[in-house]
Amino acid sequence: MMKALPLLELSGYTLAPTGSGQGINNFYFSLRRGDVCAIDTQNPDDARSFLRALASLVYPVKGTYRFMGERMDLKAYAELLPCKQKIGYIAPDAALMSNLTLRQNILFHRYYFENDLAINVDDKIGALCDISQISEKLDQRPSDLNKMEVQMAIVLREVSKRPEILLLDRPEDFIGHANFDMLVQLFKDWITNGKPVVFLSYDRRLIRRFANRKILITSGSLTTVEVKWSSEDAV
Amino acid sequence: MQQVIGYIGRKTVQSISHILDLFAFAYRILTIGLSNPKEGRVLVGRVIVQQLYFTAIQALPVIVPIALLVGSAIIIQFARLSGQYDFGRISVLLIVREVGPIITAMIVILRSATAVTIEISYMRVLHELDALEMSGIDPVRVVCVPRLVGITSALLGLFIVFDLVSIMGGYAVVWLVTYIPMSGFLHQIAKAITVGDIAVGIIKALFFGITITVTCLYRGFEMKQQITEVPVATSRSAVECFLYCLFINAFISIVFYL
Repeated sequence: MMKALPLLELSGYTLAPTGSGQGINNFYFSLRRGDVCAIDTQNPDDARSFLRALASLVYPVKGTYRFMGERMDLKAYAELLPCKQKIGYIAPDAALMSNLTLRQNILFHRYYFENDLAINVDDKIGALCDISQISEKLDQRPSDLNKMEVQMAIVLREVSKRPEILLLDRPEDFIGHANFDMLVQLFKDWITNGKPVVFLSYDRRLIRRFANRKILITSGSLTTVEVKWSSEDAV
Repeated sequence: MQQVIGYIGRKTVQSISHILDLFAFAYRILTIGLSNPKEGRVLVGRVIVQQLYFTAIQALPVIVPIALLVGSAIIIQFARLSGQYDFGRISVLLIVREVGPIITAMIVILRSATAVTIEISYMRVLHELDALEMSGIDPVRVVCVPRLVGITSALLGLFIVFDLVSIMGGYAVVWLVTYIPMSGFLHQIAKAITVGDIAVGIIKALFFGITITVTCLYRGFEMKQQITEVPVATSRSAVECFLYCLFINAFISIVFYL
């Protein structure tokens, strides 16, 4: 049976070192529908750099970036915007616009692409706001809220843009333990729809429950392995 | 000696490269602004209105008293210096052609250009521009284009307000608080102002607006890792904007009046 075309493909990619990382040299990585990839590394800086590279937020020293089979010119940032729009990026370096309210941040995508400045959020996002207890704070600015509430709003913004690929950096820290069940539910919904996910997590339960591929980043090299959890591993 | 020449050479090359970058950035903003795709029109329109409010309306309480002070001082000095001969004309020449555009530009630089540089720098350092890109939105379209249109239009409006207030208000202040005879002043002004003066004023306002916006946006967009780089960028942007405006003012005056 022919394999589906990768949604995202990085070939001959080399990432420069950042922070305490060693960089990643000349690797190949592809992401297809149904992939749920957990990053396994001792160095979170390399993992973060890899996630940012997938989101095309950092450019490689060398390499080719393909999105849905199409080779992208990384120097032409405007050409990358439609790809970025299809990638949900939930990480500590994701941010809200500080001069907009939470509601405006969540709706910004609709403001722009639908030319609609209506202030009502859709039912699904409204329900998630209720669960995460930020409904009452939608008209406040990010500086008026605590870190967890801001991060929750980032998750809602990313979900509301209906991405094709989800990238998560330590979601258990990001979303908070209080909302962990919601995260698990989001994961389930996501994976049921066959949408690919790449995540870095130190929560073994999350990895064992959902991951079907492991991305190993060690000593500047990247390899991917298919994983099948034994019944003892499963949680 | 070689080191000195080398240093001068490097600085010259850097300056030329920087100016070319500014032109390229201005070209990018203008092409995106002129293409005006359907997506984002409402949002961009709203940001333009906000920018106009911040730069023009909120600047009125600052620019009106300054215009009154400058206008009355110039009118008093020229009334004394000229012995009442044609001083309306001289005042117009100075205010409309030279002082008005420069002081208006200076106020916009101090109030808005610095604010824009700080705002964009913070957006850069705090990854807010990345967040825009991750939403598939071009930051140049939603951040730069509205500011270019807003600040340039505001500058044009403020320039007209400054000229009117400094001439008419200055006349009123001098008439009310001094004994300087002002007969024929308004008539002299009406005779002195030509269509060319108004056109040059508009051209200066347009060039100042574009130069100030592009420079402060460029300094904001420059790669920054640390929040401590923000004040440096702001200071550079303000000084650069003022210098460029002086050059442009002199250049346009030479082209049109020499």
